[in-house]
Amino acid sequence: MSLANRFKKARYRWFPDHIVGEVLSKNWIDNAIPFTIMVMVVTVIGMLLPNFFSGSNISIMSRQYGELALVVLAMTTVILVGGIDLSVGSNFALGNFMMLYFLNLAEYSVGVSTVLVVLICGSVGLVNGLLVGYLRLRAFLTTLVTLIIVRAIVDLLLLRYAQDMSMSFYSSPLWDMMGLGGVWIFPFSFVVLAVVALVAHIAFSRSGPGWRLLAVGGSRRSAFNMGLPVRQLVCSAYVISGMLVGMGGVLYASRLSGAGTDTGLGLEVVALTAAILGGNSLGGGRGSVAKALMGTVTVLVLTNGVLRLGLNSGSGPMVLGLALIFAVFVDVRWMKNRHKLLNKVYVSPTLMEMPEPRSTDKGPFEVNDRLADVSVIAMGEVESPEDVILDEDDNLYSGNRHGDIIRFFPPDYQTHEVYAHIGGAPLGMTFDKMGNLLVCVGGMGLYMVAKEDRKVSLVTDETNRSLLSVVDDSRLRLADDLDIAPDGKVYFSEATVRYEMHDWPVDALESSGNGRIICYDPATKRTRTILKNLTFPNGVCTAHDGKSILFAESWACRINQFWLEGPKKGKLEVLVDRLPGYPDNINRASDGTYWVAIMGMRSPALDVALRMPDFRRRMARRIAADQWLFPNLNVGCVARFDQKGVFIESLWDRNAANHPMITSMREHKGWLYLGGITNNRIGRVRLKGRDDTWSGWSSYWGRKSGEQV
Amino acid sequence: MRQTLFTLFVDRFMGRGAAAVTVPPLDGALKPNNDLEDLFNGIAAKAPDCIVDWQGVPIWSEGARLVSQSGVQTEFGSDITAIATSDCMIAVATLNEGLLLLDDHLAQITPNWSVPVKNVTALTFTAQNELWYCTGSETRAPDNWRRDFLEMNQLGHVGHANLATGHVRVIKSKLGYPAGLAPMPNGSIIFSEAWSSHLVEISPDGRTSRVVLDEIPGYPGRISPAQDSGYWLSIFAPRNPLIEFVLREPAYRKAMMREVAPEFWVAPNYFSGRLFNEPMQGGALKQMGILKPWAPTLSYGMVVRLDANCHPVRSFHSRAGGTRHGVTSTVEADGKLWMACRGGNEILSVDLGAEGIPA
Repeated sequence: MSLANRFKKARYRWFPDHIVGEVLSKNWIDNAIPFTIMVMVVTVIGMLLPNFFSGSNISIMSRQYGELALVVLAMTTVILVGGIDLSVGSNFALGNFMMLYFLNLAEYSVGVSTVLVVLICGSVGLVNGLLVGYLRLRAFLTTLVTLIIVRAIVDLLLLRYAQDMSMSFYSSPLWDMMGLGGVWIFPFSFVVLAVVALVAHIAFSRSGPGWRLLAVGGSRRSAFNMGLPVRQLVCSAYVISGMLVGMGGVLYASRLSGAGTDTGLGLEVVALTAAILGGNSLGGGRGSVAKALMGTVTVLVLTNGVLRLGLNSGSGPMVLGLALIFAVFVDVRWMKNRHKLLNKVYVSPTLMEMPEPRSTDKGPFEVNDRLADVSVIAMGEVESPEDVILDEDDNLYSGNRHGDIIRFFPPDYQTHEVYAHIGGAPLGMTFDKMGNLLVCVGGMGLYMVAKEDRKVSLVTDETNRSLLSVVDDSRLRLADDLDIAPDGKVYFSEATVRYEMHDWPVDALESSGNGRIICYDPATKRTRTILKNLTFPNGVCTAHDGKSILFAESWACRINQFWLEGPKKGKLEVLVDRLPGYPDNINRASDGTYWVAIMGMRSPALDVALRMPDFRRRMARRIAADQWLFPNLNVGCVARFDQKGVFIESLWDRNAANHPMITSMREHKGWLYLGGITNNRIGRVRLKGRDDTWSGWSSYWGRKSGEQV
Repeated sequence: MRQTLFTLFVDRFMGRGAAAVTVPPLDGALKPNNDLEDLFNGIAAKAPDCIVDWQGVPIWSEGARLVSQSGVQTEFGSDITAIATSDCMIAVATLNEGLLLLDDHLAQITPNWSVPVKNVTALTFTAQNELWYCTGSETRAPDNWRRDFLEMNQLGHVGHANLATGHVRVIKSKLGYPAGLAPMPNGSIIFSEAWSSHLVEISPDGRTSRVVLDEIPGYPGRISPAQDSGYWLSIFAPRNPLIEFVLREPAYRKAMMREVAPEFWVAPNYFSGRLFNEPMQGGALKQMGILKPWAPTLSYGMVVRLDANCHPVRSFHSRAGGTRHGVTSTVEADGKLWMACRGGNEILSVDLGAEGIPA
């Protein structure tokens, strides 16, 4: 292998470029743009002003940050619920004044004054909330009016009390700590902000009330139709906003101890800018506390930086305005195009060197037409019977794509009924010792249909989450096939963790190790992943002697053996490789051998493309999905091999007349039953020279004759 | 937008604009139908390639043999690649013997050509009894056209052979596989350039040429004049976004041509779906037993009727999953339209009067 080739293989083995797509699909990636803007602003200002990030400056700024961020959080709360609060500036001034009044003139203690101020500012918010929430007035105009009225009140109060206040002075250790001190290295206002922000974050992202607020903001009509108390929620948002602004006013008063007519002038614009710069949507429903905090950092650093740079007096707002336009533009483009980018970037093909396939011109895989005289069951009446299974009474069961388990009645299987309805896409099935039917349901997990009453119950739908996986792999997306070991443990395959039931074919384009084998222990009710990084593990079958399980790796065209007992316990070996097609389900045959369904055949043009991941990646991006080069799942076969991996025979539907894609086969009393996930019928063909009394269930749980299972 | 070096680079990086992998749609007169597929059974033939009208009856080539409805007329040393007839002469091009001329008793009267003429894909006699020919590719014979396609060669030429003196003159060269030739009423010649998917009209001296039908959603083959005015165009293979994409991937193309057998290439073909090792595209997956007619396919059957201005007015299609793909040649004879369906191994015919098609 040349050096370039070896390097290419190592690059695809070790460099995890699938992470890009997975990170982009996360919810928190929306914060990427505001975060980048924040970092850019901080870097630029830091470069222009060398002392900007000195200790004292940071200390001052973090004090300002605490107050500003509380106001921005107030504004964000109201924006998230779909409104706007222009009165935060005047409310802030009111809070500042009232705090100083209570301390200096009314001579209450700090604690009492704080509570009173928060209540007063909250009541201003309540006025807003009643007008906007209950009387359904327009938020913009209403809060504009409140802005004017509260500003007028503050001016009147200042006129009356300013002189008295300027002559008095309040001092106490608590007051001094609030204004000048803090906790360890963090200023007091910063600590208050941190606590409030944490509570708010948990409330908005992980609590019912927070979700209800976001729902109202997202779509007021839908929230109303859902039964949420919309008016109450809107009103409470304004009240919370008022209270947060009051808290900000208290902290401001503690820092500056002065009430002027220009306190809080223009603060509503700054708060709005910060909220939008952070990425909160003005329309409501989309946003978070983190975005508000990031926007505040950007705005604070910008305004302070511009001030320090000594530019003309109008430049601060000008810079802020330009930054806002830029941020809104980028954010809007991102929100519109993120899913397009994600679709293009998510598919991450990897390098796969396919070995020379076994010959289909001669030998056990020689193409024949032994499935030509298949008898068809339920033609056009069952859709997507991926797996078929028979019980001891010769009833035939299969899944369909509407989520039902269908039962067909012997002897000719012309009549059928819905045995149980589970939902999802039922895939592999097996019977346990009691006769209950266990089903792998794609999109849902592992389910059981009880034998006595046909009750559907969940067995397991999650497993342990791996630490380093960006994708949340504790969920079961595509449980494919299962089998039960003699000790009762259920081993099942999850074909891929990166794709869902509806787009599993895209995993063929990737051909990377996205799948795993999982074990569920009914005794302890625990589910654990035992094998990872498998290439689309599909069919699972317990070996005849019960000491190992065989499973197929479809895109890798091989069958593996995982030992459960014996000297090789816990070891994984390749039993069969170089298959000329893609193996699907594996089931026991009547004479100690195994049947495997080959769902599609390898094509040389695709094998060449599997060595060129760049080619496949560009193909995934440039042409539509139904034009992609694909494994040929239109022709398949069924093959039989022994416990050493030696193939004995194969049965083909050469012209794909009835069975283009065979995903499963089941031997039962001398007949072979065939199922296919893209098919609308089940087929069965008579096998000659086989045991006419053999059944699957008795092979697993019935009485064993001597040593032979 | 103006095409500068920068926009070219950006387009190639983003895969848009000039570098977009798009295919003209089958629309208007080319809207897909099942007319070709629904025709009654034709005459069984083994890979018939070129069909012409000889003294009122159709004759066609099957490999190295010239066959008519009454049987094999004559046989040559190698496969026939093009035929043309006039009142008293037949011109036949073969793989190994080059361009041959036969009289009306099928005896050879080939003059000594000044330059050896090989790899001929189409021939035509004009009203003045001149012989025009087109060579698909100087390096690849017509039975190796898929390799020429994947190599994206532009090595074809259109030429003119003087029957009296044997003088051969190349009129226009560096063409992308010219595969069809027909005389126009005004004395010009119309030819199809397969890899460029367009039809070109060229004056007899070769000085002026213009594209008369562009952005054909397939690879145009032989052209034959219709009785009133206009032409019949055979489109022998469809255009496909995957193939357009593969043409833009030199590394993959070279590896595929080196390692994979030609019948399994990702390239257009006369037929498809016979062997399971052929490449398959996602939309061609059979669902519920049905292969959708609009599934992506590497072969297609299409015959188009053009009017005097070379605008399509009607078409016959055999869609994905059909048997009558790869129609390479058509001719009007005996009140019917005869079609050589190479992928379907059949000679098809349709009654022109009954179909209501302008003859």
